[in-house]
Amino acid sequence: MEKVKKSAPKPAFEEALAELEEIASRLESGELGLDDSIKQFEKGIQLAAFCHKKLEEAERKIEILQKGGSDVVARQVAVKSDTGEIEDDEDMQGSLI
Amino acid sequence: MEIEVKPQFMTVTELNRLVREEIENNPYLTNIWVKGEIFNLTYHSSGHIYFTLKDEGAAVSAVFFRNYNKNMKFRLEEGMSVLVLGGLTVFEKRGSYQLNAMSVRPEGAGELQKRIEQLRKKLMDEGIFDPAHKRPLPFLPKRLGVVTSPTGAALHDIIKVALRRFPNIEIVVAPAKVQGDDAPGSIARAIRELGRPQWGVDVIIAGRGGGSFEDLMPFNEEVVVRACYNSTVPIISAVGHQVDHPLCDDASDAFAPTPSAAAELAVPVRTDLEDEIKYLVNRMNMALSSGVEKLAAKLAGTASRKVFRDPYEIINMREMLLSDTESRMAMHMQGVITSRKERLLHIPDITMLEKRILMEKRHLFSMQLQAIEKLSPMNIMARGYAVVTGAGKKIIKSVEKIKAGDKVEIRFYDGLASAEITSAAKEK
Repeated sequence: MEKVKKSAPKPAFEEALAELEEIASRLESGELGLDDSIKQFEKGIQLAAFCHKKLEEAERKIEILQKGGSDVVARQVAVKSDTGEIEDDEDMQGSLI
Repeated sequence: MEIEVKPQFMTVTELNRLVREEIENNPYLTNIWVKGEIFNLTYHSSGHIYFTLKDEGAAVSAVFFRNYNKNMKFRLEEGMSVLVLGGLTVFEKRGSYQLNAMSVRPEGAGELQKRIEQLRKKLMDEGIFDPAHKRPLPFLPKRLGVVTSPTGAALHDIIKVALRRFPNIEIVVAPAKVQGDDAPGSIARAIRELGRPQWGVDVIIAGRGGGSFEDLMPFNEEVVVRACYNSTVPIISAVGHQVDHPLCDDASDAFAPTPSAAAELAVPVRTDLEDEIKYLVNRMNMALSSGVEKLAAKLAGTASRKVFRDPYEIINMREMLLSDTESRMAMHMQGVITSRKERLLHIPDITMLEKRILMEKRHLFSMQLQAIEKLSPMNIMARGYAVVTGAGKKIIKSVEKIKAGDKVEIRFYDGLASAEITSAAKEK
């Protein structure tokens, strides 16, 4: 049985930005008709929204890996953003994996 | 008889001058390597460095003048074991001598340097430093991996810089020992751990802050260099150094002279990217609104003006459109229901309407009746016409149907008359 094809991978941020740039240039060239111009514009707006979504994706957290039994586990820690210092009670040297 | 012989003597000045000349003209003593440990170290503001070189049994003062020490690749430390290349000078005034250093190197560094060079050659032959192996760093990393000491300033610097540039970035730290005999194994293990897919890391920074030649040695060890080369995730080597690149720099996908610089390399500035998007959307807007496509400009201007200013608005706009449609649908349904209700409530009115229609129809009917009456033959006959009927009351419409002697009846509007035809002739 044929496998169900995965949906095409979403364009990466960099590619989307490059495509947006291309669309802007194409629109500026003035060589597109009205219908195409509007289609391209809509595509561009979608790309811009996609890029914004990508920027929002990460959710600011700092994790330290450490031994948890025979496995390695991630422990979330708080940091002072002005100095980058980790605010943590546990002995960091002891967290070596 | 004793003859007092005046001994030959020289003055102190003459003695010290003699010693100075003997020593300073001795080629062996002007260019000699001396091994010892550094004590009473002074970095003078003039740039000269003063110290005492000692071993278990003896000591000698030494000076390392600015013009000789300015190119030094490391900092001297109290107690450091060194090899000093220099010559002796004598101070006649005090009758003392000192070592004028021309070069100082950490003792043992020669051996280490030799080992590093041998390793470099071996790894190079294997292709580990091949630029073709290097991968580009991700443009927009979501999760940054860091391999360094969990207690060092390098970690703080990386976190600080990364958060400043991209406030919502995720950072995963794999703590490692960066100093001592077990450092190389610890660093390599941490790099491999962060490369596992479960941590979802897009790029790794591995390194430490600056230090002495020995401090940086772990990043010259084969196991660390190979871990950088084999990293499943693009890796940046970030070892603080002034001159000599550690070997792991050349085996990584990129390298930076400090951990902070590595963080700048790995993490983009979020506001720059936002500005870039805004700039491109503005360009699209301008292109569409100006030039040939006047109509397009009109459409775009009315439909999506807000979107131009902030592309994120498109989502809000669609949401608004959706909720607008929803409320319009709801209002429409309400309207349908209301109007049906009204119709139900106003049934008496409808019967009145029907009565009115009926009356109108009656009126129309009587009008039509009048028109029909006007067309009635009686009315026509009243104006002076008569109908002639023959046998069997058949209307005689043509002169050809009768002849002289035929008996006919003539019907007037108000009565009948009998008559006999005397002649009948068709008009030509």
